[in-house]
Amino acid sequence: MSMGPGNYIEVGRMDELSRMDSPLHRLDARAKGLTTLIFLIAVMSFGRYEVSALMPLFVYPFALTAWGNLPAGFLLRKVALAAPFALFVGIFNPFLDRETLSWIGSHPVSGGWLSFASILLRFALTVSAGLILLACTGIHRLCAGAAQLGLPRVFVVQLLFLYRYFFVIGEEGLRMVRSVEMRGSRSLGLRTYGSLIGHLLLRSIDRAQRIYRAMISRGFDGEVRVLRADAPGWKDAAFVAGWSAFFIAARVCNLSELVGNVVFNIL
Amino acid sequence: MHMADALISPAVGATLWAASAGIAACCARKIRQSGDDRMVPMMGVLGAFVFTAMMINFSIPGTGSSGHLGGGLLLAILLGPHAAFLVMASVLTIQALFFADGGLLALGCNVFNLGFFPAFIAYPWIYRPLARGDGSRAWMASMLAAVAGLQLGAFAVVLETKASGISALPFGPFVLLMQPIHLAIGLVEGIATAALVGFVSEARPEALAPVSTSHERRSRWYWLVAALLMGGLFSWFASERPDGLEWALAKVSGQSQTPSDGMHREAARLQQKTAFLPGYAFQTTEASRSGANAGASVSGIAGGLFTFSAATLIGVGLRRARRNGAK
Amino acid sequence: MTTPPSIELRDLCFAYPDGTRALRGVSLSVAQGESVAIVGGNGAGKSTLVQHLNGYLMATQGEVRVGGKPIARETVAQVRRAVGLVFQDPDDQLFMASVFDDVAFGPLNFGLSPEAVEKRATAALERVGMLHLRERPPHKLSAGEKRAVAIATVLAMSPEVLVMDEPSSNLDPCGRRRLIHLLRSFDHTKLIVSHDLELVVELCPRSILLDGGVIVADGPTVELFSNEALMLAHGLERPHILRHLHPHG
Ligand SMILES: Nc1ncnc2c1ncn2[C@@H]1O[C@H](COP(=O)(O)OP(=O)(O)OP(=O)(O)O)[C@@H](O)[C@H]1O
Ligand SMILES: [Mg+2]
Repeated sequence: MSMGPGNYIEVGRMDELSRMDSPLHRLDARAKGLTTLIFLIAVMSFGRYEVSALMPLFVYPFALTAWGNLPAGFLLRKVALAAPFALFVGIFNPFLDRETLSWIGSHPVSGGWLSFASILLRFALTVSAGLILLACTGIHRLCAGAAQLGLPRVFVVQLLFLYRYFFVIGEEGLRMVRSVEMRGSRSLGLRTYGSLIGHLLLRSIDRAQRIYRAMISRGFDGEVRVLRADAPGWKDAAFVAGWSAFFIAARVCNLSELVGNVVFNIL
Repeated sequence: MHMADALISPAVGATLWAASAGIAACCARKIRQSGDDRMVPMMGVLGAFVFTAMMINFSIPGTGSSGHLGGGLLLAILLGPHAAFLVMASVLTIQALFFADGGLLALGCNVFNLGFFPAFIAYPWIYRPLARGDGSRAWMASMLAAVAGLQLGAFAVVLETKASGISALPFGPFVLLMQPIHLAIGLVEGIATAALVGFVSEARPEALAPVSTSHERRSRWYWLVAALLMGGLFSWFASERPDGLEWALAKVSGQSQTPSDGMHREAARLQQKTAFLPGYAFQTTEASRSGANAGASVSGIAGGLFTFSAATLIGVGLRRARRNGAK
Repeated sequence: MTTPPSIELRDLCFAYPDGTRALRGVSLSVAQGESVAIVGGNGAGKSTLVQHLNGYLMATQGEVRVGGKPIARETVAQVRRAVGLVFQDPDDQLFMASVFDDVAFGPLNFGLSPEAVEKRATAALERVGMLHLRERPPHKLSAGEKRAVAIATVLAMSPEVLVMDEPSSNLDPCGRRRLIHLLRSFDHTKLIVSHDLELVVELCPRSILLDGGVIVADGPTVELFSNEALMLAHGLERPHILRHLHPHG
């Protein structure tokens, strides 16, 4: 049985990171979201066999990690933990696609290996960009930004409720699982599972009703209002413009090869 | 079976984002129109519950493996399809953000695969008609609905992957790999869902009854048609052209270069010698192949390593600078 | 002109949809500025009664008046502003992203200007001594802090009456002591539901004993609680502090 207490703690850790303070954290949520989006599209639009041209894009996650004072090791571990599905699908490429597409010296490189390497690089880039976006912005500001951009309020509000009450219900679940574990059972049979999860569900339903009661007793009328709104400034605009220019440059010409050629010419 | 950003093309990602966002907007409007204020906290808390339940595994008798709740069908039964879709979307959003399960551009795919099918296909078309009465019928209904929802979702994963053309997995084996795995997962999900619904309907029958039905009957037709259209479109891309949208884009932009003949022949020979599944040769667009040649040349690789190190150095340097600045 | 009682219940009866008759004719009146405790064993109907005070439950029979006005569909919004309800589990009451957002939730719903909301929320947090936590997310507070913030969310609505369900549950002795000081410093009309009889003795001169949905006793706290036979008969026991105060009670 594994209620990853790990998972529960991980959410808390990301939550903490997003509450730190750094110039990166202070940027507007929409600016960071938009930049991330452009980055993702740039990465994903590369051809299937592209490897070297993806390299320059690592500047983005590395620079942001440093700039936002984020723990690189922690993020790296999270990227590695998320890898299974991409690995699972990508690992077949070297076996299925054996056409030689390139030569390193006299050694043939098959398309499969190229595309596999490409999948892994894309994966590292996209996942780290997503994690960094969250770690330097936080779910609340992301949601507020998304709402300002027109995401339906109902969706945003219930997502924030989900997040808030994950810390309550997740802990309840963790406690229940621990108490079962403490009674010596190492794996959760279907019966125990059913009643444990069933009780958790009933308690969740009851809690939702109490929360609703608490809301209406403070004048809730179907609309959740929040004070304060981020106003983007020139720094935010510069952030988006600067990085987007870099992404486009990296997408249009293979910077790696450019750099490689320059180095070889000098040598 | 979360789709990952690394495996989809921007076109597939964008299409499914648009589809999921459209459905979400539709659901949000439905919920606002219903005017039931209680829905918002209930959705949030049940979302937190599903998110928690997904982390708690139970052992599946006689197999040594374990399963956990998926949640889509359960949410549809408890909240109705519209709210269930939104809650599922937020659970997946949180997973994508916090655990990088899936990814931000693949989120559209994941919401569609894991939210749309259980809420708008499996629930109204299978669970609801079958689950009248209780006891064994309800069990059957939730098993069938869960299995169907997951099978459709798994099939959608295959189609989306194929249409993206990033993975070389051929269609047939991929399907044969995905569907049986998800058959098992679906059965487990069905059992868990049925057990929970039974539990709630005994202890809190009033919690199960909130969803009114009249206009839902009508709207379920729309969703079926939408699903069929979507499926048809993707099947076509995935089966006609292994590269799907990429191929289409290349056609549209008129890029097609012929590779040098010699190399092609050499490649074909090598392939014949080593092919592991000869029938499933990886067909590539000419455009992407010529790009690959450039990318994998010696200078490309050296430059790649060089820029990667440079990127690392920039990161380290920035951090140093910040540290020093802070002191 | 005499001021009407803050809270007045006349022959209040309530049955849950499943038929449970939780209240069977409760009448009571609480004057302005008074502190009254409602005590009674589990299932006596205390929480049910409390939920009538802001119109979440509507009487099946009888009447609830707040500030002289009967609660009805038209007045319920007004009544909710006048009656501040503090829930048993502060986690239910703190549902927003940060302490500040939570405290501002009520005032914002009343359509106040942003400046007024800011001022009210700040004042309420200051009042309970939690202003330093304003940006903290609720899940990162201790039980005592949560309780204090939950009270602040209610204070920010400037209610005339404070109603609390089990305010001291989950608090350590120190947090409980702080809560008592805080509550004593309010001059609102207070209605406190509690199993913590010692807290009741310190805060409420008057107590109402409820059992099986009816009032079995209503009078001065010390007198009521010293009546060992009465207390035992209704699932309670005489609190220890009273033994010191009235050794022969
Ligand atoms: N939602 C409900 N549906 C049906 N019956 C209910 C409901 N809530 C409470 N009851 C019943 O009403 C009676 C009074 O319950 P209430 O919660 O008011 O008691 P209480 O005095 O607050 O008890 P406690 O000290 O345990 O909090 C109990 O018999 C209870 O079982
Ligand atoms: Mg109670």
